[in-house]
This record gives sequence, structure tokens and C-alpha cells, in this order.
Amino acid sequence: MIRIAAVGDVHVDQDVLGRYRPALEELPDRADALLVAGDLTRHGTVDEAECFATEFGGLGVPVVVVLGNHDHQSDQQDELTKAIEGAGITVLEGSATVLELRGHRLGIAGTKGFGGGFAGACASNFGEREMKDFVATTERYAARLGEVLRSVECDALVALTHYAPVPETLAGEPLEIYPFLGCYQLGQAIDSAPTALALHGHAHHGSERGRTPGGVPVRNVAHPVIKQAYNVYQLLSDSDQVDGELAGVS
Amino acid sequence: MTKQIDLEAEIQRLLTENDRVAEQGITVQRRDHQVVLGGDVESGRRRDEICRQITEHFPDVEIVCDIGVTRTQAPSEVEEIS
Repeated sequence: MIRIAAVGDVHVDQDVLGRYRPALEELPDRADALLVAGDLTRHGTVDEAECFATEFGGLGVPVVVVLGNHDHQSDQQDELTKAIEGAGITVLEGSATVLELRGHRLGIAGTKGFGGGFAGACASNFGEREMKDFVATTERYAARLGEVLRSVECDALVALTHYAPVPETLAGEPLEIYPFLGCYQLGQAIDSAPTALALHGHAHHGSERGRTPGGVPVRNVAHPVIKQAYNVYQLLSDSDQVDGELAGVS
Repeated sequence: MTKQIDLEAEIQRLLTENDRVAEQGITVQRRDHQVVLGGDVESGRRRDEICRQITEHFPDVEIVCDIGVTRTQAPSEVEEIS
């Protein structure tokens, strides 16, 4: 059994310091690792990244993150990544990590991803250069995620993105902005590997649960969706370890 | 003078593009004589800044703020993925 905690869209700055910490201090009693699905900061500055590292670092369990669109706002994503990695947090972008947890190997492949839309209402690689560049960006992120997912050797495989891989977890958002919230190509990438769980954020007004066309469970862990510091998901359950309540909860 | 039909769009762009706000998750709904703001932000200071910015940029608009601050308590349940 492995338990992973997950949240996204925490948008940390000075004014958020300390808000998550009490719940995060309890995290090692509840989960074996924490995954954060992008939008770690408000404007993507190094100062904000350091605030994120202060709030989410030093937990006693591995922390693995991807960046979100907010984390690109100041065009400092490389410096931001270094600041976060300096706190011992793993930042994925078209890459993967394998964690040894409770005798199991948890593989996590991550990318920010990009928009593009979903079947019946998606952007096409056609027309103006700007539109072709947009769709090429969509396809590049998704193709890389697929490559990385297929390359990981582990006991349980998790895909971590900021943008959504399916439309079901966008329910609640205006239909008009679905193409800016995710793309079907991410779902195809997730289905190209034996993925056990896909986690994303970005859609603050979306829904929590969905599945890819291939049947992989998808969870939107955007903070305004889950409405708590993090959710906890259990993978590789043993038959006698299915328990809906968390230890230490009165 | 902002046309009514553009008001929601202008408020949405202000909330996203203004450096002091940078929020994409705020809903803007017009009522007869009011604009109702909804959604969740990470601190009370951010909620207050949103209302301040809109009041400053659109002084003729009556704002009703239903924006909440997202809770950060630890979870009490675990979901088994199968």
C-alpha cells in the first residue's frame, strides 16, 4: 500500500505563509509523499518560489511538483525551479522520478502540459503561424509526457500535470474556456502507459473525478476544488488495508 | 465609458492581468444593479485587494463580494484508487 497526498494551485506568496503548515506537519502520519499539481506561486517570481519552498519544504516525506501557468508569468521558470529544488523538492517537466515507499516503487511522470481542447472542440494544427505554434506546444508537452510515462519502471505509475487531460474534471467551468484548461492529447499520453492515477489542477471551478478514455482515474486536485490542504489517495492496496479513514483523525 | 456588455470581460481581465491580483478563478455575474464576485482565493488580503481594485477602476459599479478563502485543514478521509 502507498498513500500519496496531492494538491494544486496553492499560489503561495508572503500572505499565505503558515496557512498550510499545520496540515502539512500532519502529512507524514497520513501519506508517504506529497504531489503538487502546479501553480505553486502567484506571479512566478523567485521570491514567491522561496515562499513555496518554505511552506511546503522539509516535510519529512518526498515532495514532487510540476509548474503551472502562473509559475511562468515572470519568465523566470528556470530560476524558480532552482529555488524550489534547493529546498529538496523535486520539480518535474517532461521527466520522471521513482520513489521507494513502503517497499514499493512509486513512479511519477510530470509535465505542466498545455491547453488545446477536447474531442469535438479542439484547436487544429492549421492556418496562422500563431495557431500552429499553439497546437505544436500542446503536442510537444503531451508527446514528452507519453515518452516519459512509458519509460518508467515501477510498481505504481502516476501522471502529474497542471493542465487537465480529460473534460470530465472541468465540469463547472464555462465550456468556452475548456481549450485553455487542458487537452485530449494529455489523456492519450496517459493511456499510452500503465498509469494508475492522473492528477491535475488549473480548473478552480471544475470537478474532482473523471477517467481517461482508456479508463485511468483522473483527479482534479486544484485547491478550490478539494477545499482542504490536500487529498490522500491510496494505491496498491492490500486486501486488509482498505480503510476510508486516516490515522490520527478524531 | 465602459459599455455594460463589456463590463464582465474588463473585470475578468483586470483581475487576471493586474499584478496585485493575478486571479483567474474569480467569477463575475451581473445582477440588476450589482456585480457579484465569486470563487475562492488563498487569503483574506487577496479578497480585499480584488474588491479594492474593482472599486478603483469601476467607481460606478456596485460590487457584492461573495469570494471565499479556501480552507486549509488536513483531510479526514483517504480514497482508494482502483
